[in-house]
Amino acid sequence: MSFLNQHPVLRLVVSPQHLWRTMSLGLKTIWLHKLRSFLTALGVVFGVASVVAMLAIGEGASHEAQEQIKKLGSQNIILESIKPPDSQGGAGETRSMVIEYGITTRDIEQIRRTVPGISIVVPSRILKENIWNLDRKIEGQIAGVLPVYPEMRNRKVIEGRFFSALELDENLPVCVLNQTTAKKLFPLNTPEGNVVRVLGYYYKIVGVIEDEGQRIGGEGGDGGSSGDSTAQIFIPFTTMMDQYGETFFRYKTGGFEAEKVQFHEAIVRVNDTAQVVSRAAAVRQILQSNHKKEDWKITVPIELLRQAERTKKIFSIVLGSIAAISLLVGGIGIMNIMLASVTERTREIGIRRALGARQADIVTQFLIETVLLAGVGGVLGVIVGLAIPLAVSHFAGVTTVVKAWSPALAFSISVLTGIAFGIYPARKAARMNPVEALRHE
Amino acid sequence: MQDPTAPIIKLVDICKTYQMGEIESHVLQGVSLEIHRGEYVCIMGPSGCGKSTLLNILGCLDQPTTGDYFLGGQNVAHLNDDDLSEARCKNLGFIFQSYNLIQQLSVIENIAVPLYYRGASDREMREKGERRASQVGLSHRLHHKPNELSGGQQQRVAIARALVNEPLVILADEATGNLDSKSGQEILGIFDELNAGGITLVFVTHDERMVERCKRIIRLRDGVLESDTIVKSTKQKTDRAFATEHSISTF
Repeated sequence: MSFLNQHPVLRLVVSPQHLWRTMSLGLKTIWLHKLRSFLTALGVVFGVASVVAMLAIGEGASHEAQEQIKKLGSQNIILESIKPPDSQGGAGETRSMVIEYGITTRDIEQIRRTVPGISIVVPSRILKENIWNLDRKIEGQIAGVLPVYPEMRNRKVIEGRFFSALELDENLPVCVLNQTTAKKLFPLNTPEGNVVRVLGYYYKIVGVIEDEGQRIGGEGGDGGSSGDSTAQIFIPFTTMMDQYGETFFRYKTGGFEAEKVQFHEAIVRVNDTAQVVSRAAAVRQILQSNHKKEDWKITVPIELLRQAERTKKIFSIVLGSIAAISLLVGGIGIMNIMLASVTERTREIGIRRALGARQADIVTQFLIETVLLAGVGGVLGVIVGLAIPLAVSHFAGVTTVVKAWSPALAFSISVLTGIAFGIYPARKAARMNPVEALRHE
Repeated sequence: MQDPTAPIIKLVDICKTYQMGEIESHVLQGVSLEIHRGEYVCIMGPSGCGKSTLLNILGCLDQPTTGDYFLGGQNVAHLNDDDLSEARCKNLGFIFQSYNLIQQLSVIENIAVPLYYRGASDREMREKGERRASQVGLSHRLHHKPNELSGGQQQRVAIARALVNEPLVILADEATGNLDSKSGQEILGIFDELNAGGITLVFVTHDERMVERCKRIIRLRDGVLESDTIVKSTKQKTDRAFATEHSISTF
């Protein structure tokens, strides 16, 4: 024990009292040159702040993306019909032709029969039309779905209820609005109990459902991927088949075109999350053999989720490198000032050596001082770094997520920076010749 | 620990050579001397005679090129840096011309620095520091910073610091050089007290007043001993009276 107590560095470990004494000496010296210490630590402050803030913003962005993907349902496989690319050109030829494409009853039946471990297949049809409430109108999607739709897509019914299985069986003209539609068509009164009109049909409103989150990677296609501000109303699938049949007409520049689509969208739910990817492969295979053209699209949210995680990893590496560079710059700043400080305090070093300080004592003193400087910078940096995401969330409306480990990580890096850049000045101080150090003016 | 009549400092044929480019400069050329417990020695000589180098070697801050140096019976001429530091810490007290206090530390903290490097506890540092401070008459200034003190007071802090580890010998380099005559007188009074209490003092000085009080004068010239004379001080009594008059407490 007494031997341990003799070595200055070991003494720091075995004697908290000695550590505290060395630290209070360092703090005293730092406090003696307040402005200089503050300016020196500023580099580390910004480095650490950028680590914390960037991690929070990056984490927030990926968190938002992941939430949206989770909304799609991690157990789901989403099939969509899209208009095949080659049928879009050549308007002259296809002018009066009916374009037939997309997911068919045959596909759905085959999936239901041959792929094991899937529970429900929810088909839906989507029509783009104007939705009217008296003289107010909004262009949006009319989707024919099944009553399980909200549960499948993790969408909450905000007011009233979703339509029931009975209403589906009876082909009743009822509908559920999404929030956007409700706000637009019924800005003052509650939509529940009122009616909306689409083409010639009237639908009684039974409830309001929340808007859909922006779908990742589901951009484009007529099959109906929707942004969160797209107006939507949901009607029973059977009602839609009844009223609109299988063929939609749409007026276009230079004529009209007709589309025959059986299902615009279908959701396959896989019972076991671990099997989603393999089941998706099976579904993909069925669709590939049934369709000659690329008139369908498959979205597997869990795959998107994994992709988002990979993207996040890359994002973190890039942000991490930027932060590392700023910490490097901060570290160099500290080293520079410590070297100047060593020269300035040559006399003090000489005195301490004359009074019995070993080289290791001097190393310890200067190293602790540098680490404290970096550590204080680290603490300030964490505070600033926590404030930035708050401000960003507040003023820019961007989600930020501060993970508990990120301030801890940033702070430890600042301390390590202090050690790394403190060793050289500390050794330089310790290796001075005592006689010359005492003579120094 | 050893024979009390044995010298506490024994230099045997100490040589010190500095290499300055291609020129070798022989600063000390075979200095041998012994200093016993309780002596009050002044080392004198013209500038460039090697007395600073000799003091540095005596203070274990520098090492001789050849020769042996026994400090309290231990040969310290060829120790490594760590052991040399320990020898300084245990056996030596330093007093400098420009006081050399650490500016960011208070009086008591400055006094306790040598204890700190010996691994003393906080309590030991506080108790011994306070005792030495009162010994040099600075009990009322324990928590002042050096720049709040006069030159004489600063030098008294330095003396307390030199005493705190109970060293074998106190070395001083022009201890009164920066002081006005009144403060210098006070400091000299303290030295007399210390020496009367059995403390060994080895000083490099030009101060005539100090030369008048010391018991032995060593003169150096061109790196060799020119003379080594034992003197009998006649002024000691009057100065002792001066010291008591100025309420400087003794052990």
